[in-house]
This record gives sequence, C-alpha cells and structure tokens, in this order.
Amino acid sequence: MAPPTGPRGGGHGNRPTVRGARGAGVGKRRATPRTDRDGDVSMDSITSAKIPTGPSAQSTRGGRGSRGGRPSRTSSRFAQNVRNYVSEQDGASRNPKSQFNKVFIKIHGLKDSKAASNSDGGLRSLLEFLERKSSHERPITFGKGFIRGDHVWLKVNQADTHHLLKLNGFTFAGAPLGIQEAAGPIPEQGSTDDPETKTTDTKDKLLAVLASRYNVEQKLLDLSALGADQTLRSMGAFENKALAEKSFKALMRLTATRYDSAAEKEAAIQAVTLANNDILDVGEVFTMAQTLPRLRRLDLSGNQLQDFHKLSKWRHEFRLLEELHLVGNPLTNLSNYPTQVIEWFPSLQILDGHRVRAAEEAAEALKAWFPVPFPRLPSNLRDGENNVASTFVANFFTLYDHDRLALVRQFYDAESIFSLNTGTEPATSPYHNFSRNLETIGVRSSSAIQRLLSGANVIGELWAQLPATRHVSLEQAGEWQIDCHTFPGLADPSGQGIATGLVITVHSRLEEVDPTKQLVGTRAFSRSFILGPSLPGAPHPYRVISDDLSLRAFVPQQTGAPAQAAPAAAVPVAPSAASPPVPPVPSDLERAQMVLELSKLTGMNAHYSELCLAGLANWDFNLALRSFEEKKAELPPEAFVAPPA
Amino acid sequence: MSTNSHETNVRCSSEAAKSFVDWYYRAVNDGKPVAPGYVNGHAAYDRAAHPPADICVNGLVVATPQEFDKLLEQQRQAPKQPDPSKKRVRYEAEAYDVHVINADYRLGAPQKMLDLHSPTDGVRMMMALSVTGTVYFGTGRNKDDDYWEKQSFHDRFILVPNWDALERPAARGGRRYLVVSHNYRAN
Repeated sequence: MAPPTGPRGGGHGNRPTVRGARGAGVGKRRATPRTDRDGDVSMDSITSAKIPTGPSAQSTRGGRGSRGGRPSRTSSRFAQNVRNYVSEQDGASRNPKSQFNKVFIKIHGLKDSKAASNSDGGLRSLLEFLERKSSHERPITFGKGFIRGDHVWLKVNQADTHHLLKLNGFTFAGAPLGIQEAAGPIPEQGSTDDPETKTTDTKDKLLAVLASRYNVEQKLLDLSALGADQTLRSMGAFENKALAEKSFKALMRLTATRYDSAAEKEAAIQAVTLANNDILDVGEVFTMAQTLPRLRRLDLSGNQLQDFHKLSKWRHEFRLLEELHLVGNPLTNLSNYPTQVIEWFPSLQILDGHRVRAAEEAAEALKAWFPVPFPRLPSNLRDGENNVASTFVANFFTLYDHDRLALVRQFYDAESIFSLNTGTEPATSPYHNFSRNLETIGVRSSSAIQRLLSGANVIGELWAQLPATRHVSLEQAGEWQIDCHTFPGLADPSGQGIATGLVITVHSRLEEVDPTKQLVGTRAFSRSFILGPSLPGAPHPYRVISDDLSLRAFVPQQTGAPAQAAPAAAVPVAPSAASPPVPPVPSDLERAQMVLELSKLTGMNAHYSELCLAGLANWDFNLALRSFEEKKAELPPEAFVAPPA
Repeated sequence: MSTNSHETNVRCSSEAAKSFVDWYYRAVNDGKPVAPGYVNGHAAYDRAAHPPADICVNGLVVATPQEFDKLLEQQRQAPKQPDPSKKRVRYEAEAYDVHVINADYRLGAPQKMLDLHSPTDGVRMMMALSVTGTVYFGTGRNKDDDYWEKQSFHDRFILVPNWDALERPAARGGRRYLVVSHNYRAN
C-alpha cells in the first residue's frame, strides 16, 4: 500500500481528520481512527480480555477491518503526542551522526500557497514540486521536510543544494518560494505549534504521575495498577495495549531525564513495583531494564506471566536485583520455579519473601557475570632499612603546602626535572598552560619541550604560580597509597658507574583554591618521584631526579558543607622571595572598591568593570586596566556609562 | 641542565612513550600478552644479570610478567555473561607524560651501542613514564560503550633500551624499550 498521504487518509470513513493542524509532519501519517464511544478502557480489561493486540490493531493499514477497541479521539491524539515525544528523543540522539555532509535549507512561502489547506499543510506537494523541478540532470529526492512556523526545513545532500537553490523565487501553488541555506539544526517545534503544546502538556502530566508515585523514604517508584490511575485514565494513556506500552516507554524516558547522572538515578530509585498490571510478557515493559539497570527490589506480583519464556527477556538484566516478588503469576506453579529464577538473577537473595541466597553467595554469583577489578591493597613500601621514602614523603608534602621554595632548595638541583599533567581542564584552570599531557598536546609539539621544567630555579618559579594546596594528613593512612622500590641503572653523579635509584608513586587527595573563582575544592592526584644520589655538598644524600604530578578533575566543595572550615585564607600560600607572590585574595569590600575605581578610570559601567576584574585579571587591578586598554575598541557601547573620552 | 633534558632526548622519549602507550593498552584491551614488553628473558639483560622487572599491582607484588598476564586474563573472565558487549575490560589512556631519568644508560649495553650512541642521541635512555586514564569493566570494544563499573587508573613504568632490538634495527617486531618497573593503582 502506498504511504497514505493527507487527503486520502482523511477521506476514509467520512470523518473529519484529526491531523488537520499544521506542523504535525513528524509522525507517521495515519487515517482517522474510528471513535469508540466506550472510551476509557483500562489496561487491565484490555489485556485480560486478550484482544488481538500489537501495533497492527491500531494501524490503519493492517487493522482497518479488525475488531477490538478502537482508540478514542483523545487517545489517538495522546498516541501522537507520545510518539512525537519519543521520536524527538530518538532524533536528538541520532542527529550528530547524520549531519555530516548535509546542508540545512529553509523554505518560505508554503503557508501562503493554496496547498497550505492540505491535511499535511501542503508539505508533501511542496516536496514533490521541488523534486520534480530540480531533477533535471538526475533524479533528486529530499526525504523528510519539517514545518517550523512559517518555514519548511529540509536536510539535503551537499551535492543537491545548488539544484534546490536555483528554485528560489519559483511560484508554487500561487505563492513565491524563498529558498535559502540556513545554519542547522532544525529548530525545535515552537510552543505556538498546537500539537507540540500538547506534547509538553502530556509530558507535564506524566511527570506529575511519576512524582505522585514516588516514595522518597523507600526510594520506591510505585507503578502498580497503572490502568486504574485516574490521571492516566483521563489522558487515555492506557486505553489499549499498544498505547499502554508506548506510555510506559514515555514514563521510563521521563524517569531517566529527571536525574543528571546514572549514579544519581541509581541512588534515588532502588525499588519499583509493577504489581497488578496484567503483564503477559516482561517484553511489554522491557525498557525498564535499560532505564533502571541497577534496580535492587522489584515487585511483579499479580501479573499474568504464564511461564519462564514470558520472563526470559529480563534474564540478562537487573544484575543487582536482590529482592523479587512474583506471587500471583501462573509461572510460580511450575516445577522449576524458584531454581530457574535464582539462576537467572545472580544477586537475588529474597524471592517472594523467602531468603534464597546469602549475601556472600550473591556476590560470588555476580562475579561470573562481569570482569572484576583487581583487589586493592594498602601501601607497598620497599625502601630498605633507612625508610628513605617514608621520610621523604612526609617532608615533601608538608613543605609543598607551606614552603615550596625551601622544598625546592632542599631536594632539587640543576638536573631535576618536573612536569605536571591534567586530563581535560577548562582554559581558565591555573594548570591549563602547564599541563604536559602528551596525549593532548602531541609528542612533537613545542609545548612538549617547553612544559618540561628542568632545574630547581625554574621549578620553584612555576610552583609559586600554582594554586596553594593542602594535602590530606599523612596520619590518615587510609587516604594514601604509597608504593616504592629500589632499582638499578641510574647514572652515578660522579660520572662513573651505575647508581641505585628509588621510585616512589604516591596517590592521595589535596585541597586547593581555584584562584579565578576563589572556590575551594579537592583533587585526586598521583605524584611519582625518582630519587637518586646527590652531588657532593647537597643538603641531603639523595635528590629528586624526576617529579611527575598527575592531577584529576577539580571537584568544588559544596557551599555550606562542614568541610567549608577551610576557606581561601586558611589554605597556606607558598611564599617565595625569588618569584612573584600569589596575589592576596581581596575581600568583598575591596572588590567593590576596585570595581568603582576601574569604572571611574575607564568609563565602563559597574557590570563591565566587574567582568573585567573577575575575568583573566583575577582581581589584579593593573592587569584589568591593561586588558581594558587592549580590548577597548571591541567593547559594545552599552559597556560604558558615557562614551569614553 | 643535564643531558636528561636535552632537546633530542625529550623529543625521542616523548615518541617512545607514545609508541609504548599505544602498544601496551592495545595489547591489554585485545587480551594479548604484554610479558614480551618486560625486561625478563631478554638476552642482553640476562647476560648482565639484571633483576626481574618489579611489578606491583594495587599494592600486590607480582613475580613475573607472565603472572601479570595471567591476572589480566583472570580479570577478563565473565563466563556467564552471554553479551560480548558486556564482557570486556577496556583501558583508556587519557593522559601520559615521560621524563628521561638517565640519558647515559649503560646497564647490559653492548660496547657497540655505547660507541655508537652518545647520551644526546635519544637512544640510550632510561625513562619514567606515567599514564592516567579510566578502566571500564563489563563493557564492549568501543569507546563510549556502556559499562558495568569504572575506575580511574594510574600506571607508572620505568623503561630501558631493548639492546637486542636496537642492535638489529632490521629485525622487526621487537619493542625498542622494555619495562623494568611497573606500578599500577586504580580506584
């Protein structure tokens, strides 16, 4: 059967079309469903009545003559909304891949044409017209079009673009067409678009349903007896099976969007009840396994699962499920009932209220399903009788927090090498310009050479520019992993022979102040040292040959948290006579004065003055003034109180 | 300024680090043995009675690289998992950095190599390499595949020249640098 186009579908059954509204071109085109005045059939009655179901029961193509509940007008609109919502989501995830080599085209004029009164807003006729007119050299097709406000948007192959642009100014059904290239992506449907308002409306209603069914204390999402839910009934969301499945899918999607991260979702929803939904096969609610893969407790009691086959779609899901209820399902009468279920869910400990496995057994059973990380052992210090590493580490981190210059003088010499590296840091990060991450800067870049610092003086200068830190106390042994051992093969400082070295790797956390935002936060770090014998006359018998610092992402501390006891000023700043001191942190009052002063000198208003100071200048008044002089010409007129002199 | 920070050495060590990181994590992710990349069993170092490579995994000292390969193999086991996209362990190196710690490395070196390469040639280097990244458990082959669990890891290697391979540059397949020390931590 040819794809039903607007008018043809509308003509069937002598009923007015429900798809007359413009902008509904996203979903599949469907003919008017016959309205069943019986209306609100619950999910229960439908499923238990075993009406031939599946998507075809609703489809115009397959099910025109079939018996069974026809969706009411409300429900068909609801179905469209759910579909719109689901396809929007799918579209969003597919977009990045499909945009390669595609050009966005914006066409104006369809609304003024005679075709606008077609049931699809004239979109199909327009596309046919454009395809016909541009297919001179070879047949060209444009795929799907989207009506957004007064424009039709197309995504076309680069090669076809100029054929299409040639049609600019052509007359289509009595109206001139304006065709132009546009920057993608195709805009979201605006709120003025009628069907979209309904989608949002549907979304809000579904969200309200979710909220009312969530129990914070128990971390339980109660999705039992959905067919009897007043709100869902009034929406017609569970009128028939196909629609119920779609609605459930939409509920799951919405559940997922409520949380920022998988971890947050996992923590918030640990239990779900799907009791009394007349589920025949868990395939109907399969999406839940994708939305909540780490569910701990699940209630499926009072459903219609006949045998294990009906449960088998979940046999590889819910690996952390500890508690399951299946009472009231026919499958509980089967001879291999508990064994099979226990086998399928490795973490299962309680089935229908009975303990079926001990926690240790469950942990063991889970190991067969996923690779397991290496066990973690405490520090492994093999630094000989003199405990060189322990002494060095204790000295090092205390001095690094309090007196970096003294540290550099004690343990570093002209041959010492230092570099630091971070993962992906924002450009505002104080480490950004120093990070010698060869993965990102490239092994042949000049930065690979420049960011390797050699010699105590250079290293000391850099350290003075780095944020002040406070390492976790070494007394908290659990917070530190320090591994070390000796190795042969270093050069002896005398120039002759081979010396023994000590390699130390330290992992822990440090507190730090982000100087641009004056924000206290923590970082995990790994710092590796190579120690070797010193040159004669040095303060210690050993020196740092190599010092390599790897920093993890900065995690800001929650404001108002008790850990806030370490404000900016309490974190010691490394003093250094030889290098520029870290600028002191101005108080709010001082800042306000600086803003005023800058505003007076530059003529900028308070807002821009503050932006200028808080930005790159980092509350260094002279720096801010300099950057103003540089950027003066680029500033918009509204940046100034009065035009600059 | 020592030869350790000589420009040629810095450049060559960076390139050697890249080559090592590429090789090592590809081998681990593909389930191939990494033992040949350690100093153990290489003729030049055996002759010089070099001690076996020091391997320490999350605080556990592992006697030989073969034993380490066995641990990696055990870690990859998930016998009941039917889905190949949930069975793997995948290491992704996100940052690495390398220092030359002895540009005049001599241990086990054949006289020929000492004569041929000065300490500023970027060949006779002992290097300290650190790599940080993320290790995904219960995942597929590809980046961005879903995973069951993840950890941040830090690998620290000390690398020395593979004299056997450097002497015969025509003989392909030999790693140019070998591991004498390997420290792994993940959490």
